[in-house]
Amino acid sequence: MLQPDFVQLQSEGRDLVKSCDEKCPPEGEEGNPFNFTPQLIRVHKDHELFEDGDIQRHLYLQDLYISETEDKPALSLSEFACHISGCSAVFSTLEEYEHHYNSLHRHVCCSCRRSLPSARLLDIHIQEWHDSLFTILAQRQDMYQCLVEGCGQKFRTSQHRKEHLIRTHKYPPDFRFDKPKKDKGEKKRQQQTDTAMEVADSVCESEGVCEVMCDVPPDQPESMETRVFEGEAAHTAESEGHTDLSATGHSTENTNSEAVKPRYSYRVPANVCFGHGSVRGFRGRRGGRGK
Amino acid sequence: MWRLDRVRHKAGRHVSHLDELRSKRREHERELRQARRDNQLVSRRLLLSEDEDQLEITMDTDLGEQDVVSLFHKLQHNGPEREIHLKALSKALRDPPAQLIFIKQENSMHLLVGFLTGSNASCRLQAVRCLHELSHSPHTNIAPACLPATPYLLTYLSGQSTKFTELCLYTLGNLCPESDVVKEKLLAQGIIPALANCMENQKHNFAVVEAAGFTLSQLLQDRDAVVKIIPQILASSLPSHLLSVLTPDPNFGLAPAIECAWCLHYLTCGMENNRVLLSYGALSKCSSLLVSVGGAVSERKKEDGLELLICPLLRCVGNLLSSCSVEDLSSQIADARIVVTLFELLQAHVQTQPALARESAWVLNNLTAHSSAFCSSLLTLNLVPGLIQLLSFSQGLNTMILRVLANIAHKKKEFCVQLAHLKLLSALYATLKMADQDIVTLSMDVLFMLVVSDSQVAEEFVRHDGLSLLQALQYKSEGKIRRRATYLLENHLQSYTS
Repeated sequence: MLQPDFVQLQSEGRDLVKSCDEKCPPEGEEGNPFNFTPQLIRVHKDHELFEDGDIQRHLYLQDLYISETEDKPALSLSEFACHISGCSAVFSTLEEYEHHYNSLHRHVCCSCRRSLPSARLLDIHIQEWHDSLFTILAQRQDMYQCLVEGCGQKFRTSQHRKEHLIRTHKYPPDFRFDKPKKDKGEKKRQQQTDTAMEVADSVCESEGVCEVMCDVPPDQPESMETRVFEGEAAHTAESEGHTDLSATGHSTENTNSEAVKPRYSYRVPANVCFGHGSVRGFRGRRGGRGK
Repeated sequence: MWRLDRVRHKAGRHVSHLDELRSKRREHERELRQARRDNQLVSRRLLLSEDEDQLEITMDTDLGEQDVVSLFHKLQHNGPEREIHLKALSKALRDPPAQLIFIKQENSMHLLVGFLTGSNASCRLQAVRCLHELSHSPHTNIAPACLPATPYLLTYLSGQSTKFTELCLYTLGNLCPESDVVKEKLLAQGIIPALANCMENQKHNFAVVEAAGFTLSQLLQDRDAVVKIIPQILASSLPSHLLSVLTPDPNFGLAPAIECAWCLHYLTCGMENNRVLLSYGALSKCSSLLVSVGGAVSERKKEDGLELLICPLLRCVGNLLSSCSVEDLSSQIADARIVVTLFELLQAHVQTQPALARESAWVLNNLTAHSSAFCSSLLTLNLVPGLIQLLSFSQGLNTMILRVLANIAHKKKEFCVQLAHLKLLSALYATLKMADQDIVTLSMDVLFMLVVSDSQVAEEFVRHDGLSLLQALQYKSEGKIRRRATYLLENHLQSYTS
């Protein structure tokens, strides 16, 4: 008779299935790491899984059992966590997670790791900042594209474009056009909160600068920039993860994820980048662009 | 006999009583949890006489102390009013300090045993009442003091008087867990055969069956039960008696079934191999009963306290399944509706008693682990969408449910395709983003099975931006997840990546 495999649960264990390096089949053919096999799980009487039921049993024995469930805690919903290495943001709904991810991690320049709100702006950013050919051509022709989609106009300098955006497209003049990249070391949040963010409204926001507009080369430190969202309450948190991803060949550094209420999309035209980004820089390296 | 309605009824009378009861219960719950963590969870039962009720007893502690000593002296004279004195003594012994005082009196136990074994039947009854009160004591040194009485209590288990037998049983049950010395003595004095005979002879007497079940459950909770107690029990007729009580007979009443189910739970947990119990048809009995009581839950016709029976039944089925081979499964599980029952129990309890939902999910895992038939029935009975909905819950519930779905996917490619068709893939987009590492890893395993089953599934995955999700997961610091994402991208989705 075939003995069924089973996993014997440790009575003190919290986990139901032992992290089964001994029991599970090891990574097999060509290093296939997928080794799920169905398992029969046996639970010892002292295991944590049985705690609540045991308590009810003993309350009953002691004549204290009430079958109405008044103050029983309902099962909580699972949380979502940002997967980007170094980003420790946690969210209670999938929507919040998606919003965070799309704002901060999706369109990331792999050269300078800034996160841009759209693919188009990322392209423009890369072109204007990291393309030496652009610099050469810009000396002779109008290369700076208007950021507003569909406008199509091009300008000789960044300044001209800025004026165009203000005049024609009604961008606010105090918009962060020329704020350069800030010196990270000096920038401190008003409220330093714990890096492990658990509150639902802590959403990562890149609190950076409009680098697309900046005509200062990325490496030069400049003056401190002012915060965009004046008057907006902000629960800001800073998490800096320095994770080495040398395994994948990407150089990765900090992900400054700060938490602010995500209202920028109402106050600021959507097609302006917001600087500081995170790790994922696939543009220009692999995937997505046919390289 | 235990009546839940008694507590409720009394509580219902005064609102303040209800609040008091609730806060007392909360406090107790905390203590019980801590006791369980310390491996010291022990309960004793106090059988009240019909004219009493617990909430209205006034603890007249002033009277207690003196009363005990003076009663003791009066009883030593063995006058004509001894019955009255004994009754008064039993009431006085409700009070813990009085219990200690009584025990300290020289020859007090000897006196009680004398009445217990004497020719006067009502004195016997009152004497056993006194012992019962003593057995319920919170003081640890009382139980050993009661040892002189135990051989007689055991002898009386074969008697016919219901109330008397009940009191003997509950007294023994209270004494069992108290100390190793007491347990050893009781085992040596033959408590197991005595219980077996009692259940045999009194199988139609619900109150006695309940009491015997309780006493047995007390024995079985001993940490060394596996070595010292369980083999003896399995060799006796007790397993078949316990199982015969698990009948859906509506006349039989919940309380005896509850006790016997808990006994079976302790038995099935204890042994690594439950061959003996399986040969008695334990899996069949437990699963059938679960189906019939589970049905009551989903129809919302359940009586109070049904969960007290459902819980141990679930556990029995769960652990028995882990000892049952796939070939024997169909003969052991008589009622294939068990799948539906488990699903309904899951859904019914996910908000009200999440622990019960978790246990139901665990049993479902054991049912589907190696059985294609049960996996198939989950699909054909259209229970999978409901399972997928539950993947949003945490604290281990979604992990167990995903295991069940993984069990299904693991069986054959056709199942994978069906699962994908039922939108499991969409659910995975969410579970892959969850904070809990275990669910992410398991989600990757399921994703792998789905993707390799059918190219259409792979295409759909890619269409929904799956690649960038996997690429993001590659940056996961946790190695298992990273390796899986890479492997999937490089070996099975390479035609989609540019």
